[in-house]
Amino acid sequence: MFAWLRRHPSATAYLLLAPGILYLALFYVWPTVGMFLVSLETGTIQTGYTQSWNFGVYPQVLGEYWGDFLNSILYGGAATLATFAIGFPLAWFVAFRGGRYKTLLLFLIIAPFFTSFILRTISWKIILADNGFLLGTLKDLGLLPDETRILATPVAVIAGITYNFLPFMTLPLYVALEKIPPSVLEAAQDLYADPLSRLRRVTLPLAMPGVIAGSLLTFIPAVGDFVNAELLGNPRTTMIGNVIQARFLKVSDYPTGAALAFILMAAILTGVLVYARLAGTEELYGARAG
Amino acid sequence: MTTTSRSIPQLGRRAFLRATAAGGAATFLAATRPGTILAAARPGAAAGAPAPAQDAPSGSFRMATWIGYIDVSDEMTYPSLDRFRDETGIEVDYQEVVEGNEEFFASDLRGPLEAGLETGWDVCVLTDWMVQRLSVLGWLESIDTSAMTSYPANLEDSYRTRAWDPENTIAAPWQSGMTGLGYDAAVTGELSSVGELFSDRWAGRLTWLSELNESAGMAAIYNGDDPSTLDQAGFDAALATLTAALDAGIPRRIAGNSYIEDMTTGDVVVAMAWSGDVLGLLVPDQRPDQDFRFTLPVEGGMLFTDNMVIPRGAQNKAAAERFIDWYYIPANAAQVEAYVNYVCPVKGAGEEIRKIDPALAENVLIFPTEEMRARSYDFVSVEPDVRAAWEAAFAETIGL
Repeated sequence: MFAWLRRHPSATAYLLLAPGILYLALFYVWPTVGMFLVSLETGTIQTGYTQSWNFGVYPQVLGEYWGDFLNSILYGGAATLATFAIGFPLAWFVAFRGGRYKTLLLFLIIAPFFTSFILRTISWKIILADNGFLLGTLKDLGLLPDETRILATPVAVIAGITYNFLPFMTLPLYVALEKIPPSVLEAAQDLYADPLSRLRRVTLPLAMPGVIAGSLLTFIPAVGDFVNAELLGNPRTTMIGNVIQARFLKVSDYPTGAALAFILMAAILTGVLVYARLAGTEELYGARAG
Repeated sequence: MTTTSRSIPQLGRRAFLRATAAGGAATFLAATRPGTILAAARPGAAAGAPAPAQDAPSGSFRMATWIGYIDVSDEMTYPSLDRFRDETGIEVDYQEVVEGNEEFFASDLRGPLEAGLETGWDVCVLTDWMVQRLSVLGWLESIDTSAMTSYPANLEDSYRTRAWDPENTIAAPWQSGMTGLGYDAAVTGELSSVGELFSDRWAGRLTWLSELNESAGMAAIYNGDDPSTLDQAGFDAALATLTAALDAGIPRRIAGNSYIEDMTTGDVVVAMAWSGDVLGLLVPDQRPDQDFRFTLPVEGGMLFTDNMVIPRGAQNKAAAERFIDWYYIPANAAQVEAYVNYVCPVKGAGEEIRKIDPALAENVLIFPTEEMRARSYDFVSVEPDVRAAWEAAFAETIGL
């Protein structure tokens, strides 16, 4: 065996890859193919589903649920921007001003995420309740009209997603910022760059790998999320994840659910490829020139 | 501590409400992953070995049901289940994991039953139409009534004429109830019309139920149609009514039992509600500034019956049947009824409940008047493929 491997060195790599490939084939490729086949079936839960190669389901569900796709992209996109707006200063502070408290600060960013995703989202219901701590107090102070509410609006859904995915943006940003040598920033300062141009022309370009990684890590799961829309939204803020979940678990309409899942996958894949093309794959993979 | 209902860290319904506060966490989890919270300490192997059919039933059995469907003591135990255990030696692993019929069907029944496996449940409490679906699919065990003394002997006459269960061997009714208006009168004042559920007066502070029968049924009543004879045109009109209200942003959420938490926090003041929930779950914990009430609208409301059924392959069918028979002893049913405030399907329970609290025997939500029965509608029973199409159309209407 070992002698054979010595004669065929390239086989060693494949052998080492085998467990991973087998795992992916079993738990990713096989179910994906299965799901694709399910999407082409027709029938009902009573009569059973039969394979009819119904490719027409794809344009049909896209026509019916384009609004939910739109919601997903809008809410996911807005949440990604919001996580960047919050996460960048946070990561910058930890990286450049954290000093010996860096580890503690990073731990504090992650700490809330040791609890369940669902419970964290439920907490937002308590915080944002119409007459709860936040809105109730503001209403009592006369700062908000009585009928104001945040829950059951798109704002609540976006806020929930933003909160739940914040570390996915902050941590890659931190890693990228932390790598920037202070000497580079000092050099910029020596060359009379004001703080804003230093940020715009030095820090931000050097942090791009983190920005790209963070936005992908946030946007991709955010688009498919259904928990925030379910708990914090209203019947008109449903995201495509809610529809997929309901089609599988409430209506038992598997072909529609599977077709929607495939369209979502294709849309995200296309989006990521375009993003990678625009942003450059080197940065996507975290490599840096020279 | 041998009682399953004690030893499992289950939450009683009030504790449940407190624990989830404004949330609906557990109901949400129950909908997505039944048992995640409530059945955290699920005992192994359907709790005990299968009972030999010829012997007296023993061991334990697992029961899946809805929140607020049994008596709960202040110590968060289930007194009637404890008494059942003491009298029969059978333990009940009682789990409040059903948040909706479709959800439970999809999460717990369809997969194993389609594959010819057992579901892990011995008794499931499900609504008429879902029972009919399971029956047509051949996924239910027949209830062996031959040795029973109370069931179906004490079954109220109105349940004996159900066309899909002439022998009463498919489903034993657990509770019936009415779907109507639940509201906080302290905010809304007295309400009586089904139109409140579609009124922009309560836009953003009102919830509907996620079950087709309830929401489409109430919309049909609002349209002046009879839900028990609804045809395709009537159903389409009901969906149009729902769509118009949704487009106007009237309902805040469309949910199962979790409307209870939204009403508790005050975010919701009018709800399409189940009769027993309001008196049994909301009123006991209301704040001084809240005044929860349930009204069967003057135009009418929906009537539903949830039944005990035994899914195919149940591990301890004999124990489940023993429980069904035991529940149909009027004094036992009365003990449950005195707490849950739903309509009791057991003959003679009225007299027994009078012994517990005479006022309860006069409670029209437990013992509705003839006039109330007349304006409580069943939802029309349609062919399975029509039902499937209606389910899909309803889901699409409510954005799913």
